[in-house]
Amino acid sequence: MSSIDEIKARLKKNWYQFINENSKRFTKKIIDGSSPPSLFVGEYGYPHVRVGPMVPPYHGDTSILDKPELWLGKSMEEIVNYRLNLLKGTMIHKVNKISGRYIESLQDMALSKRAVETTMTLEKIPSLFLNDMILSNSNPSEIPVIFSAPVKEFKIFPSNSDEKIEKKYYDGDLLASDAVVELYDNSVDMTSITKVLSMGMLGRRKNRKLVPTKWSITAADDIVSTHLLKKIKNNTILDSYLVFTFNHLANYYSIIFIPDDVWNFEMIESWIDTNGKVHIGSDYESGKNIDHYPSIAGAYFAARLAVAEFLFKKRRMASVLILREIHPEYFVSLGVWQIREGIRESLKLKGKKFETFDSALKYGISKTSLSIREWIQNSSIIRNRKQKRISDYLN
Amino acid sequence: MVFLAKTKSPDEWKAVTSAISTLVDEATFEATVEGLSFRGMDPSHVALIDISWPNSAFDGYECDSALKFGVRIDEFSKLMKRAEKKDAVEVSVEENSLLHIKILNGYKREYKMRLIESTGGSTPLPKLNFNSKIILTPASFDKILSDIEVVSEYISIESDEKKITFSGKSDSGEADIIIESGSEGLEELQVKETSKATYSLDYLSKITKAISASGGSLVLEYSTKMPLRLEFRVANVGRIHFYLAPRVQD
Repeated sequence: MSSIDEIKARLKKNWYQFINENSKRFTKKIIDGSSPPSLFVGEYGYPHVRVGPMVPPYHGDTSILDKPELWLGKSMEEIVNYRLNLLKGTMIHKVNKISGRYIESLQDMALSKRAVETTMTLEKIPSLFLNDMILSNSNPSEIPVIFSAPVKEFKIFPSNSDEKIEKKYYDGDLLASDAVVELYDNSVDMTSITKVLSMGMLGRRKNRKLVPTKWSITAADDIVSTHLLKKIKNNTILDSYLVFTFNHLANYYSIIFIPDDVWNFEMIESWIDTNGKVHIGSDYESGKNIDHYPSIAGAYFAARLAVAEFLFKKRRMASVLILREIHPEYFVSLGVWQIREGIRESLKLKGKKFETFDSALKYGISKTSLSIREWIQNSSIIRNRKQKRISDYLN
Repeated sequence: MVFLAKTKSPDEWKAVTSAISTLVDEATFEATVEGLSFRGMDPSHVALIDISWPNSAFDGYECDSALKFGVRIDEFSKLMKRAEKKDAVEVSVEENSLLHIKILNGYKREYKMRLIESTGGSTPLPKLNFNSKIILTPASFDKILSDIEVVSEYISIESDEKKITFSGKSDSGEADIIIESGSEGLEELQVKETSKATYSLDYLSKITKAISASGGSLVLEYSTKMPLRLEFRVANVGRIHFYLAPRVQD
């Protein structure tokens, strides 16, 4: 893998090239282009949030720019570039005010099956700059968007809507969580689900409101995985320990499945910073949903979704311990899709089987740079292996 | 009327619901001609509560035929908290999916609470022989737990004919509490065989705090590396058994 400085240099080079190619378009207050479609609802200032479209200054099939399901195997530069191509228009809106032409245009866009032709009139010409601060962004869930400007007017040329999603949009009696589950069961991808969820297009009519993008991603991962976990409860217990290891964009994963009749889930993250210092965070649930917001935030639910999906498909029941080691080369957070899709991908590989927990753990840890002691110290699942269960004494 | 139970005060219900709330959010009660019962494990299957509340312990009890009803414990407690110590309480289930709670004192208050789907089969009880039996007041046990909790998440209990040693340790330090036979707060100590086992303080503290306000006495029974059973003897409630699986070093 290239050094961080090399990646940064290449990113900057791409960026300047992009600016040069499109310089004429950026010097106007009117920008037209095909939105993937892509939308953004900020969390800052909640309940008065910034909401708006994200549009590249060019036309065509731009869907890849905002479709993480298609990003697996892409390099960090490519993914950051997708984001850098999007200009974010913003307007401050109260979250429960989901009427009016502007919001309706955005909602139409969220329903669209493919890229949407748009024209955005800005209050002012966007300022273009790319500095190191942006590239060392450590906000865990957002890919940096470089340029944004307040929108004065936004127009779209509607294209075909996704009928599955449209049906839930018109159903004003269905709970938002049920709508999310039904869309998922109907093979709608998570990115599309979170777009309509964040635009206040699902749920009981009177409860609908805008949901910051980041929250909607977490909520959808949480809702869908909770739904899957209910279904796997009575599955056959996995017959041996199963370990998957995977490296995705300088994130090293070890996913350890533990035969168990009670659902236990833990994700431990160790983040190695550029000075070589290690920071560890972990969250855990036993028998039921975690009852507080996890310290590792949205990563927890994205990972839980990927493993619940695996158990559901394999019709098995197990507990799961995930070790995630983040290396310094992952210097821009690309979003929690990286975790969801990375783990989904790793679970397509053939896992390694083990007869004992210790051997499974030892193998999982051998793919990371932390010692077994450091992981154990931070793991509730490992500590709680000493805890017997009442069910052990029933016979 | 399918089921009706009267108590002279809400305290009995408060003790029962706060005990259950330490383990689960939703509870299914089972009412029969003999009385009311609840049995359930926490989601991790580490602890189990078994409550048997015989008809004779109520101020009035009617049950035509066996029935199960499910409640959300926090909602039930919230309503029950509206009643004061001297208020008589009547809990009933009629032929609709509502739980009726009548609070009778001076004026009449009636709450109706939506029942939830009751959950499946009954949980069996673990089969255990206990080698040590300790009877003490819930308040003194609560104090012991708090003393250990400042240094540790777990408590080890070691008992012989003469004394009981409660201890805990962690990276930060250790705590030892020795209670000799005849000490204040210790009502009885019976040891067939020296016993030592370790348990999670979190579970023990929660259940003890939930019930200690109701007074009465507490019977603690266990054996080496085996589950512990707490029996809370609360006035006008039959018995509340709390089982807790041990922590063991493999």
